[in-house]
Amino acid sequence: MQRRILLLAAAVSAGLAVPPAARAAAPTYAVLLKTLSNPFWGAMAQGIAAGGKASGVAIFQQAAASDQAAEQELNICNTMLERKPAALIASAINSSNLLPCMKQANAQHIPVVDLDANLDPAITAKAGVKVAFTIGSDNIAAGAKAADFMAARLGKTATGPVLVIEGLAGNITGEQRAQGFRTELAKVAPGLKVVASLPGDWDANKAANITNDTLTRSPGLVAIFAANDTMALGAVESVFAAGKGGKIVVVGVDGTSAGVKSIKAGRLSASVAQLPYLEGIEAVANVKKILAGGTVPSVIHVPTVLLTQAVLKAGTDPLLQYVK
Amino acid sequence: MVPSEAGAVAAPRRGLSWRDLGGAIRLESLVVLVLLCLALSLLSPYFLSVANALNILLATSVIGILGFASTFVIASAGIDLSLGSVLGFGGVVGALAVNVLGLPWPFGIVLGLAAGAFCGLINGLLVALAGIPAFIVTLGMLGVARGAALVLTGGQPIYGLPAPLVWLGQGRPFGVPVPAILFLALAAVTHFLLSRTRFGKYALVIGDNENAARATGIHVARLRIGLYTLSGLLAGLAGLLFAARVNSGDPTAGISYELTAITAAILGGSNLFGGRASVVGTLIGALIMGVLQNGLNLLAVSSFYQQMAIGSVLVLAVWLDQWNRSRGRA
Repeated sequence: MQRRILLLAAAVSAGLAVPPAARAAAPTYAVLLKTLSNPFWGAMAQGIAAGGKASGVAIFQQAAASDQAAEQELNICNTMLERKPAALIASAINSSNLLPCMKQANAQHIPVVDLDANLDPAITAKAGVKVAFTIGSDNIAAGAKAADFMAARLGKTATGPVLVIEGLAGNITGEQRAQGFRTELAKVAPGLKVVASLPGDWDANKAANITNDTLTRSPGLVAIFAANDTMALGAVESVFAAGKGGKIVVVGVDGTSAGVKSIKAGRLSASVAQLPYLEGIEAVANVKKILAGGTVPSVIHVPTVLLTQAVLKAGTDPLLQYVK
Repeated sequence: MVPSEAGAVAAPRRGLSWRDLGGAIRLESLVVLVLLCLALSLLSPYFLSVANALNILLATSVIGILGFASTFVIASAGIDLSLGSVLGFGGVVGALAVNVLGLPWPFGIVLGLAAGAFCGLINGLLVALAGIPAFIVTLGMLGVARGAALVLTGGQPIYGLPAPLVWLGQGRPFGVPVPAILFLALAAVTHFLLSRTRFGKYALVIGDNENAARATGIHVARLRIGLYTLSGLLAGLAGLLFAARVNSGDPTAGISYELTAITAAILGGSNLFGGRASVVGTLIGALIMGVLQNGLNLLAVSSFYQQMAIGSVLVLAVWLDQWNRSRGRA
């Protein structure tokens, strides 16, 4: 039994060690994603594949098992460098877990791309890691866009309690979206007061529970902002189940396919769509520019688009083609 | 563990316990629950109301049903780490059946339940017949079932369920949420199953001493297969409720819920090493966590403090239980 396991392990490691020399001459970009078990990253992977096809480069893409598996992601990253890719496009699970691998990539003169802005520039500089460019959506601006929509829908002089459902405690993306929302709301509609800002952990069921609990506390709730669409869907279904459907403005972020369907069905009020598909295409295109000797900005912001029933019905916004 | 602690079967109990309920329910967990409710009633004017009590039941239903599933497996000294993933798989299969295949809604329920039971059956077969430790088998299923849910959906949630299915998660006949009704009904059924039937009593016996159980003629393998299948079936049901509540079959639903479910069982006085388990105890354990979460939400406590509060109450409850147990023995 033990011998069989050893044999298996040997076979697996031999498989990993096979050099990619036999592969086609097209340069290979190594792409490392946080996870694929999430619509956002699924769309990103599709965009990267499309970008690879458009640029005529091969894409070698891997992902960690979950967006919590920080150490596993580092191991995958190290293994990817063994294949000597032309570039490393990586979305780190946190601001430090991939730094050793990125430093190694620097030493091998492989350009490193911070995909979806997960790195902290200060920490990266301290570690002596050089990043070719950072590409991602501005999460603070996404939260602010949701606040602007709410103020437009309810009126700038509207008053009433508002609930914020945050992401996983301590996660930078969720915190930036919530923070952007709160700051902008205080500016554009000071009568709308955030009465609770609670962690939904990206979980639809938890968001539904938080909504119920907050409705108990503040029955006059006028609006809910959730840091992603999964939680926004949990919240809006809870609102409808409580018989307050259509009376409370619910806004999410991401523009997932389920979110879009819910908006079309007249349940979810709006979603600030990030465009991971476009981001994937742009990431590959800019890497190609660098490798050809060109220069690109050090931070590239991918636009967001506000999805509402009206916007979806009109279908004229050119960015809608990237909403997957 | 002292053999007589298999007391849920017949032996007299030590320490404080609520013998009327037939199971190994510990008074300590009930005390913690009552104290928690008292404290929250004082802290928040919104806590003590019928509507909020129903909210708590609704919020606890998914985790609670998973808790019942884990109670049976824990009773037999097993463990089911795949509960959260099987929940996700069951919900996705149910949603796919109605949304993509276009089958009538009862098929969604039947297929969702069958998907859960199937995962449980595989777990049971591997544990009972292949003799692989339950920890490994169900850890494997944790990956396989989650992966299958992601493959079937391409990682995208399946949005939009037919009205009767949505009613299952969102309906409120006479103001009572349907998941809360199902939750309490299942508590009664599974409590009866564990404490009053041969199936449940034998599960506790093999959890206490498998060799002795075998010697007395209990068909251990068949029983184990049944226990894991039941666990999967209940996880599938929890998955359907989850999907109905949020009107979509989400392949990432229920990640790490197994740990909360097992915690509910332990909080309720079940012994992680088998031989002592109670559905009513698990119900109380799940409610402790549900009430605490509800209270923290009502008080709008920030996320970092929420984690600290939940962790502290868990340890406090188990410590009270241990303290009383050792006192009873002295």
